[in-house]
Amino acid sequence: MLFSVLIYASEDFIDALPPEEYQEILKKHGSFHEHTKSNRSFGAGVKLMSTGTSVTVKREDDDFVVTDGPFAETKEQFMGLYLIDCATLDEAIEAVKFLPLDHGRIEIRPVDYFEGADFRNAERVVINAS
Amino acid sequence: MRNAWLSTHLKAVRPRVLAALNRVFGDIDLAEDAFQEASLRALKSWRQDDLPQDPAAWLIVAGRNAGIDAIRKKRLETSAVPEDLETTFDGAHPEEDLTRALDQAAFRDDILRLLFTVCHPVLRREQQIALALKVVAGLTVEEIARAFLVQPKTMEQRITRAKKRLQAARLPYEEPDASARGQRVAAVANAVYLIFNEGYSASQGPALIRETLCEEAIRLARLLVRLFPEEPELRGLLALCLIQHSRRTARLSADGEAITLEDQDRSLWDRKLIAEGHILLEAALRSGRPGPLQVEAAIAATHTQAASFEETDWAELDRLYRALELIRPSPVVTLNRAAVRAKIDGPLAALSHLEQLSNTLDGYAALHAMKGALLAELERAEEARQSYRKSFDLAGTDVERNHILQLLSRLPHSTRN
Repeated sequence: MLFSVLIYASEDFIDALPPEEYQEILKKHGSFHEHTKSNRSFGAGVKLMSTGTSVTVKREDDDFVVTDGPFAETKEQFMGLYLIDCATLDEAIEAVKFLPLDHGRIEIRPVDYFEGADFRNAERVVINAS
Repeated sequence: MRNAWLSTHLKAVRPRVLAALNRVFGDIDLAEDAFQEASLRALKSWRQDDLPQDPAAWLIVAGRNAGIDAIRKKRLETSAVPEDLETTFDGAHPEEDLTRALDQAAFRDDILRLLFTVCHPVLRREQQIALALKVVAGLTVEEIARAFLVQPKTMEQRITRAKKRLQAARLPYEEPDASARGQRVAAVANAVYLIFNEGYSASQGPALIRETLCEEAIRLARLLVRLFPEEPELRGLLALCLIQHSRRTARLSADGEAITLEDQDRSLWDRKLIAEGHILLEAALRSGRPGPLQVEAAIAATHTQAASFEETDWAELDRLYRALELIRPSPVVTLNRAAVRAKIDGPLAALSHLEQLSNTLDGYAALHAMKGALLAELERAEEARQSYRKSFDLAGTDVERNHILQLLSRLPHSTRN
């Protein structure tokens, strides 16, 4: 089954991290990559830009309205997600244990529908914002 | 090691908490002391696996109580504590009530007020920067002193004097209306850019420490964009900082010499920051409310779109500088536009344009450096040399002076005739 791993964290907190600690976080993501790639469960990884870059599109009366940012003043922001292809929820949980769990929140949610590249067989592409 | 994550938490929530405490006490010193005391309490009772649900709210409550205790102690013999300052810190999770009660709009205004206060026009520029870094970003006096190459004691005095000045100015506490809020946003955006520029353009001091200033400015800008996504100038500010910062490794040589845009190795530019800057700028410009920082960001973005210096879109830059001359005229803008015009019109036309400007801008090192470059292009080496020398005498920093020396050394040796 395909699972999404949804990552939430406080952007204020991430911004305040000293570089060494940020490196620690990246290292844990590295271990997650290693684990899920070696057992071929890795599907996709998406890291989002800061919430400051986003806009919200709404429909008002007969018009589209684009407002700036998410105005949600939540303490945590949605930072990104992984897709992992695991036989059981247990397996997904084991994989997520590699991720940094000391702050923020990580949620595992099964995927109901997926359409995209055949990541089991396809060449991996990496798209970096630039 | 246990304290590392805690200090990150404290750093992350500091602007919000301090802003709220500043509203409660109406005094930055008292708010800072209260924050300090609240941090000590957090150190004692927070556990990494059991943080308060809302650390900011927890610290506000704890800081408020600590501040009230302090006021009590001071006034013990004279008068009672005013009723509206009763302690509310008693339950196991005292922040829960407060979290519910905290109006997010008030939160936003609190932070804006705090930043606006520390960047208030009654303060000198270096006071504004020092105070913003100390109070809002939470840098220590030693860190700020190092960035400005002064003794910690000197910096301490500068900050104390700045606070006194604020107290003496007796700034009224007001809820801003829409237009006042707009003015505050503009003033705060400018101040944050000043901090960034202090780190970016300054020439002395170890690069790493200078970079701290840039990064703190970016952190403040990010916070502001999160709080006020509807203010395009703040997105412009963040876009500008990110795009400038993307060039940080390309703009200084190994031995600390400045490398101009023309000679930078563009493969060293941080494309991730540039991408974020571009999208922020695009989102900002959608609002149709341009401001000087958005235009400056657009100028910086235009440079990043050229694969090489020769491929720069000079016509677009000329349009943008003209816009900047209209909304925020300054000698620097005029000079920059003249440099762009020189690329379009050629050196001879540019030179006569500079002559017109030299009445008002004769005291600017950059004017004479530009003149020198144009004269060198026209192979009038002796006149170029004179202009460069004049620029050298007017230059304010070692990096500038070294750069001019380099230009001088590139001129052909004077021919005797």
